[in-house]
Amino acid sequence: MMEVLRLSLVGGLLALDATSVGQFMISRPLVAGLLAGWVSGDPPLGLLIGALLELYLLVSFPTGGARFPEGATATVVAVATAAATDGVGAVPLAVALGLVWGQLGGFTITWLRRLNGRLVPVPDGPHPEAVTWAHLGAVGLDFLRGVAVTASGIVLGRVAVAAVVRAWPLGARGSMGLLLVGGAVSAGIFLRSLGGFRRRRLLFMGGVALGILGARFL
Amino acid sequence: MASLSRRTLASAFARSFMIQGSWNYQTMLGSGFAFAMLPALRRLFAEDPEAMRDSVRRHLEHFNAHPYLSNVALGAALRLEAEGEDGDTVRRFKTAVRGPLGGLGDALVWAAWLPAVSLAGLSLLWLGAPGWVAVLAFLVIYNAGHIGLRAWGFHAGLQEGSAVGQRLSRASLGNLTARVRAVSAALLGLLVGAVLAGRGGLGAAGPSWGVVAILAFLGGLVIGPRLWRPTAVVLVAAVAFLATWGLMT
Repeated sequence: MMEVLRLSLVGGLLALDATSVGQFMISRPLVAGLLAGWVSGDPPLGLLIGALLELYLLVSFPTGGARFPEGATATVVAVATAAATDGVGAVPLAVALGLVWGQLGGFTITWLRRLNGRLVPVPDGPHPEAVTWAHLGAVGLDFLRGVAVTASGIVLGRVAVAAVVRAWPLGARGSMGLLLVGGAVSAGIFLRSLGGFRRRRLLFMGGVALGILGARFL
Repeated sequence: MASLSRRTLASAFARSFMIQGSWNYQTMLGSGFAFAMLPALRRLFAEDPEAMRDSVRRHLEHFNAHPYLSNVALGAALRLEAEGEDGDTVRRFKTAVRGPLGGLGDALVWAAWLPAVSLAGLSLLWLGAPGWVAVLAFLVIYNAGHIGLRAWGFHAGLQEGSAVGQRLSRASLGNLTARVRAVSAALLGLLVGAVLAGRGGLGAAGPSWGVVAILAFLGGLVIGPRLWRPTAVVLVAAVAFLATWGLMT
């Protein structure tokens, strides 16, 4: 119970970083995964799940009014679920749960933004200086939203994943292959956003060669 | 700028880190902008509460920009208010800069800087660096650019006021974006190579997964961002199907 509370508080704080406070990017899955792994007692697992979700969310940014998957709470939920579950299937099931929870987190951000519209003083209202408390109130609500999204995800996720993990049919290598296929789509989308293969082929292929050499010799 | 102390300016700069705290669909960054301006406005209009209210009202109005580059508008608006410019001038200035600040910031930070540093962190990790090193490198490099951009924007706005557009042009943020995107292509290649050949990567998963991953990569390259959501749905569905299949057999 205390562990879920701790992880939910971490989720709330990381959710704040995504848009409301700072945007230092401690909310990115790579960082959130390591932090959640530390709190759950398994940093390498947190890092693995964080890296996979970071790869998926490479092309998802917190831009203005767009609805985007919430990476921070999704990563904490995924890591907390995988850390509490034994079996090869824990990682793929937790990553899939993280993808679903990221979308749900994105919906709650939209709801909160609608609520903020009622919370902040209107420009022609009688007390414009009330903006300080309205603004801080909105930040507080975002924190509570992050805590609630994380806590509900961990509780439901642990029950659901525990029920099916033993039946997971793929081995460790097959599971990793399946997860990396999803990441490969993001990588392709990102290369397209950089101008496509033809325009970037020299830099991209040079990087591939260096990556292969580095992986072999480092 | 004699009427605004360093402490007041520091307070406005610190508050700019929370400029998106009450983001909403009516005024977008408007309330956050007013929140960041408030310490300075209280000082500037200490003896005229009604003028302060009017000033807060005009900053509560609709405003949107990239959160980091909104500091350019924040610094310039502080200067305009301190110089006693009339409300319409301040309003016109903010309306004129919000589009460019949004476009430049989205292209430079969200579409170039963040993914480039993210790819650098992931590549380090996949090439075998300790996890904390990869994460720390990501945070330090990203935030050197992030905090530097915020501070530069705030300072430029304060110095130039409504003429800050020329400073933005001279800074050539578009060229900087192009360079970061070129580096990103090399970093993406580095990560792909490391995942293909690294321990625990696609090479270890077997050739069939490698072929599927290459096809998935080509799909993303040809179809683009429209493929992201369907991919997530297919991946979740595949995991759910495999788990259900395992339960039934």
